[in-house]
Amino acid sequence: MSVSALSRAPSSRRVLLIALSTLLIALVLGMEQLAPLFRALFPDQDPAMYQRESFLNLTLAHLALVLVSSLISVSVGVAAGLFVTRPAGREFEPLVSTLAAIGQTFPPAAVLAIVVPVAGFGFVPTLVALVLYGLLPVVQNTVAGLGTVPAQTLEAARGNGMSAWQILWRIELPLAMRVIIAGVRVSVIINIGTATIGSTVGAKTLGTPIIAGLVGNNLPYVIQGAVLVGLLAIVTDLAFERLEQRFSFGASGAAS
Amino acid sequence: MIELQGLTKRYGDTRVVDDISLTVEQGEFCVLIGPSGCGKSTTLKMINRLIAHSEGKILVGGDDITTLPPERLRRRIGYAIQSIGLFPHWRVADNIATVPRLLKWPSSRIAARVDELLALFQLDADGLHDKYPHQLSGGQAQRVGVARALAADPDVLLMDEPFGAVDPLTRDTLQAELARVHRQTGKTIVFVTHDMDEALRLASRVALLNAGQLVQYDRPAELLVAPANDFVRDFIGRADLGLKLLSRRRVEEYCRPAQRTRNNAIASAPITWQVDADDRPMALLGGRLGESDIARTVVNPEWIATPEMSMKEALSRMVWFRVTALPVLDNEGRLLGEVTMSGVMGHRS
Amino acid sequence: MSVSHVPTSDAASPRLVANRVLVTLLCAGLLAAWLLPFATMSPNRLASGQTVGLGEALSAWQLSAFLALWAVLAIAALRRPLPRGLAHGVVLLASLGLLLITLYSLGDYAQRTLVERSPSARVSQGSAFWVMVFCCALAAIDAFQRASSGWLLRLGYMLIAGGSVAMLFASGHFDELSIMREYTNIRDKFADQFITHLVLVGSALGPALLIGIPLGLLAHRHVRLQGTLFSVLNFFQTIPSIALFALLIAPLSALGNAFPLLGEWGVKGIGAVPAIIALVMYALLPVVRNTYAGLKGVPPATVEAARGMGMTARQVLWRVEIPLALPVMLSGLRIVTVQAIGLTVVAALIGAGGLGAFIFQGLGQYAIDLVLLGAIPTIVLAVIADFTLQMLVVLSKPASTRR
Repeated sequence: MSVSALSRAPSSRRVLLIALSTLLIALVLGMEQLAPLFRALFPDQDPAMYQRESFLNLTLAHLALVLVSSLISVSVGVAAGLFVTRPAGREFEPLVSTLAAIGQTFPPAAVLAIVVPVAGFGFVPTLVALVLYGLLPVVQNTVAGLGTVPAQTLEAARGNGMSAWQILWRIELPLAMRVIIAGVRVSVIINIGTATIGSTVGAKTLGTPIIAGLVGNNLPYVIQGAVLVGLLAIVTDLAFERLEQRFSFGASGAAS
Repeated sequence: MIELQGLTKRYGDTRVVDDISLTVEQGEFCVLIGPSGCGKSTTLKMINRLIAHSEGKILVGGDDITTLPPERLRRRIGYAIQSIGLFPHWRVADNIATVPRLLKWPSSRIAARVDELLALFQLDADGLHDKYPHQLSGGQAQRVGVARALAADPDVLLMDEPFGAVDPLTRDTLQAELARVHRQTGKTIVFVTHDMDEALRLASRVALLNAGQLVQYDRPAELLVAPANDFVRDFIGRADLGLKLLSRRRVEEYCRPAQRTRNNAIASAPITWQVDADDRPMALLGGRLGESDIARTVVNPEWIATPEMSMKEALSRMVWFRVTALPVLDNEGRLLGEVTMSGVMGHRS
Repeated sequence: MSVSHVPTSDAASPRLVANRVLVTLLCAGLLAAWLLPFATMSPNRLASGQTVGLGEALSAWQLSAFLALWAVLAIAALRRPLPRGLAHGVVLLASLGLLLITLYSLGDYAQRTLVERSPSARVSQGSAFWVMVFCCALAAIDAFQRASSGWLLRLGYMLIAGGSVAMLFASGHFDELSIMREYTNIRDKFADQFITHLVLVGSALGPALLIGIPLGLLAHRHVRLQGTLFSVLNFFQTIPSIALFALLIAPLSALGNAFPLLGEWGVKGIGAVPAIIALVMYALLPVVRNTYAGLKGVPPATVEAARGMGMTARQVLWRVEIPLALPVMLSGLRIVTVQAIGLTVVAALIGAGGLGAFIFQGLGQYAIDLVLLGAIPTIVLAVIADFTLQMLVVLSKPASTRR
């Protein structure tokens, strides 16, 4: 993002984050209170509120799916990124990077669909698809982030007598952290979206009311699900933006 | 003390360092110099095992370096490179504390050592302690780099073109400071550069390398007056050999007793200094280029010399201010003696 | 200087294996062939079938060719006797051969088996088949990277490989496979939805470029706009696709109801219009960002020189800034094209059609072949678009900097 956006950002972005998260929580807990509004807007729709499941449950299920898949993606992805940047695995680096790049051209919805024949319907295939897809940005950014650590810094670390582990933990990972977190951010945001589509293969998520509304031609359902999942994504993105800024050190942080 | 014995580095069939043997005595300031690709950096990095040598032996303080784990060895040897080598996510104090922390010093001792080094490099002002590397000027960052290398009080300091990335003015200051620190601490320093003036200014011994081989290893003055071959002569630069030599000489070597007087009467000597009651020079009687011998010239505060000043600089001031002599002053500004044009000519190393 | 110097004696014995990546792929392929089903056979479209291993599915000559090519690849992975350059060539040829043998064998197996069975029986590809195809592709990609070959060679190889596979399909060799039978059933619909998919992508890209490029120029000229512009566009990009599609339904249907004329033009809650609008909103960020980044990357000295030689602002823009920014702008186009192809799948959920229709229809009926008929072409389409636009990016760079 641009320099001016960053320099101006912190305070107003923080207010935005707090306001939107409050709105999200309020809507998740109190969507029922809006029933009169929906009834007024859509007088023809008989149940104007999605009631098969509470929005709190749907949100928690959605979050659980994203959280579990992201935890797996991040641990496997960072480990893979570390492996291909160590001497032992460096030979695999070009292939893994290409794979991560090509893999991201695959549409998430298509990946989700392809997992179904292998893993069946429900929570598991969605989780598998989310993990597979979420891996790619994490691997890519881990490799890229570690690549941004200047060779001179590494040489200085070795010259000062740090062991390979010490260099990794004290120098490389902290310096690569901002880029790695940016990868996790992309991965999580995509996964929030893909999890929504996961309701088409039977996973219980915030996409469930949307699909139910589309199938049953019930616009209020669609809006209730879409607003929540949209807010969830935006709030998550803003939170990651703040997290990323914590790990920007000097010029390297402001430049990108 | 560092000893290289038949040191060789091969990459495939090419020998980038070819059978180099030399000894750097305790407290010596050894500069490795040569054209790019001559193997000087490789030689330096083999001393702390950043690069493994192919043949030969390296002894540091009498121990063969291959008998120690590389990390242990490196914590015993200071290492400074261009300023970008500072860890950007650590504050100045953390950067300096790198090796003491690796050595698990108690934190009070680390803090004391950091303060000591900040003072030694005149970095103690302006709350520099808590700044991050990107907030430093080039010269400050470079000082922090050298301070970090000295943090665990190693006997040996390796420096790889440490002043390569700073502007000429800052480099000048840094060189003076390094020379002072070297005098104060008595460390053994091995220093890589491609800048002959830097080498002549700092070195107590210069090792000139070409195509992986050691061409000449000598005191700077010897290198200037007795170059081993044409390569050495060309590398030093034939045109200003004399000036280079003078840059090695300090004013105190040329300083002669001065004639002085309290009034402005012309004395018998061709150059006489008029001094005040505190022995501070006020005017030069005679000795002005192109003027008659009886001229009286008020001493300009800029055309003076100090004992530590290089003769090259003293000569330059004489030429610039068109005088044939400069007063040599001590710390309090009192007249110690004088250096003269004819004195420069008459002296031979 | 490599960071990985380990202070060991230089006389360390040379490794036996020169290409550990290839060895890993070969092991994975062999393991998959041994443990996983190569194909499945079911009595009809809906019943679950029995699995068939590689040894059972391949005829004698196919199996020997398979093993021979595998052995050739294994030898190419060793340090001796092949010199490195030759080894890369051998890997490229052998992995293509292995891919074609794998594909051919599957089709051949389906033909041989179904002759003896009832016409309703179905043969599908198994997971070992997918793993082997995947490993072949990776081996070829890895060989290209090791040989650091130019883009022309890569393009040629892709065309030959794609052409051979297309010929196998065209010859009817795969017609007995379950997925191809499914395709025959929906052939006309498939063509329609495929075209719809392309039309949706195309009609989103046009407006996205028309709006995005001027916005990028504007962001470049007026620094103060950037913050707001980029955060608004980033908001669009962040909202999950299905939510954005869905959120457009209400206002558009209201609009269509309020102005019947608009409704006649297709402006209504569901269908192509909300899909295209959402796709444009998604496409804006990459277009604007890359236009801006491309212009920002033009060296100020070059612009100054152009001005100094008396070019007008317009001439500087068209003759200097845009040509120099073109590669970055084109990679923005690449990102949005690939992204739009993927998002259009989801647009099927709001009735816009496209290949996603098969996916969701197939998921609804648990007809896996139908799902794959939607998913695989989308993936192929995205990969081809990515590759083609990458080529364009390369070509748009000054010749001296191409690689």
